[in-house]
Amino acid sequence: MGSMTAADGIKWRGKTIPFQPGESIAAALIAAGVVSFGSDLATGARYFCGIGTCQGCLVWVDGVVREACLTPAVAGGTIEPLDPGGKAL
Amino acid sequence: MTGVDVVVVGGGPAGVAAACVVARAGLSTMLMDQRSALGGALHVQPVAGVPAVPMPRRQTTRWRRLTDDLTALPVETRLMTRFSGLDAAGIAIVEDRANESVSPIRARGIVLAVGAVESIVPRPGWDLPGVLTVGGLQVMMKQSGRLPPGRIVLAGSGPLLVAAATQMAALGRSPLAVFEAATPVGAPLAAAALALHPAYAAEALSYLTKLWTARVLWRTRHRLAAISRTDAGLVLTVDGPGGRSSIGADWVGLHDGLRPNDFGLPADGRGGEAGPIVLRAGDCHEVLGGDAAIADGRRAGAEMVRLLAGGGASWAATTALRRHRQAQAAIAGMFRSEPPDLGGLPDSTMLCRCEGKTIGDLRALINGSEGQHAREVKLNGRFSMGACQGRLCAAWTAALMQRGTGDGGPTGRDFTGRRWPTLPVPISAFLEPDQSVTSRDLTFDGVMADRRPDPSPSAT
Repeated sequence: MGSMTAADGIKWRGKTIPFQPGESIAAALIAAGVVSFGSDLATGARYFCGIGTCQGCLVWVDGVVREACLTPAVAGGTIEPLDPGGKAL
Repeated sequence: MTGVDVVVVGGGPAGVAAACVVARAGLSTMLMDQRSALGGALHVQPVAGVPAVPMPRRQTTRWRRLTDDLTALPVETRLMTRFSGLDAAGIAIVEDRANESVSPIRARGIVLAVGAVESIVPRPGWDLPGVLTVGGLQVMMKQSGRLPPGRIVLAGSGPLLVAAATQMAALGRSPLAVFEAATPVGAPLAAAALALHPAYAAEALSYLTKLWTARVLWRTRHRLAAISRTDAGLVLTVDGPGGRSSIGADWVGLHDGLRPNDFGLPADGRGGEAGPIVLRAGDCHEVLGGDAAIADGRRAGAEMVRLLAGGGASWAATTALRRHRQAQAAIAGMFRSEPPDLGGLPDSTMLCRCEGKTIGDLRALINGSEGQHAREVKLNGRFSMGACQGRLCAAWTAALMQRGTGDGGPTGRDFTGRRWPTLPVPISAFLEPDQSVTSRDLTFDGVMADRRPDPSPSAT
């Protein structure tokens, strides 16, 4: 991980997502066209309040559950949905 | 254990103003914010290379002055840090998210300046991905300088929709339409009342002018009835004076007002053997906006100084806050509309998103037995038991349980209760690398004991 730069992006479900240094994981994902932070477009995790209160954007960030809206994207970060099976949270 | 005179939770205008007053009085002060920069929700800072979103110059100047004052004072500022509440011994539990560690902090006073949250009326489809809050759109614009791709529609009620629409227009991404339930420009008495507050009136006029210049479609007296998802994206069903219509969009921003982010917060307390003094400041005390927040932050800071150090001038915020209150009342008057018809919502409407419980689930639960208390409904139905702890749904669950007989009934607070809002914290954050934590260090109700070396029971 030592030589990772912003050019390496973050990984969302195996796909590399670019980000602007300092911005949140949520902003990077949405800019890349990700609408659902869960495994499908049915009711589930997504960006909603943007201020860390609704807990609707919870995702795995390198093995820790975090609000995507508050957590800055870091090069090489692995982001995964909480519901890998595709069911709503 | 770290000890400090005052902990200020929240680095927006109220928190920074309070921290400055407290520090200037000679009290040791720690200011914390969950984000990686100060500003709160109002002054979310742009990342490198992103232009700042247009805001009234008066506001940005005042913020810059506040942060200049803060920098000149010996305030310990901790970013990426969340306050997790007070334990049974009155110790503050503080989570440092950058270093993934949780620390106990002993403080004599706590100022809570955690701002406001948006009210979102439940409507069919409000829980769909692609549906978010208008405030959430603003945070994204302010921090990242961009918006979700595609067609965006805003719906609800309040001046925030106007502000956001003009900010979107400045990025070249005007919303397709803004559906406003009230008729703000058709409220002459309220508008006249607002004219008594020049700064607010000028700001309102500026936003309305920008809205008009950008040709944003601002459909007043229009209510969003439902959102559904099709292969082509989201479809909004909207009711207006001319009847019902549909509009397609990729993203929908909702906003139905602001309320204090006071879920689970204790009432202001004057301390004593139970623990530190706790005072609220800013929007979490009373939603009056950013300018009032500075005055209220100073008020709380001065009150804290008076209680901790004795004497000291009490900040005469009463007059300033009264004028802000009058201005906000005038604005509220302009945006007044019929309350939402919750009873008319279909059973399939999501109510408690976190637990996946619909309005129909609530109706089935309460129709069986009359006079159920909020606690029963919560424990049996799981409403407000999810991750958001009722921040989004408690007020509506309570409202749906009102029987309109004027006999009271539950309130949102009956669902959210008096418990510090919990947040996801990894277990690893409680452990220090070179120290083994025994079960005696962490008790079951989350109290974290002082991490002294374990005194051996057999020591003489």
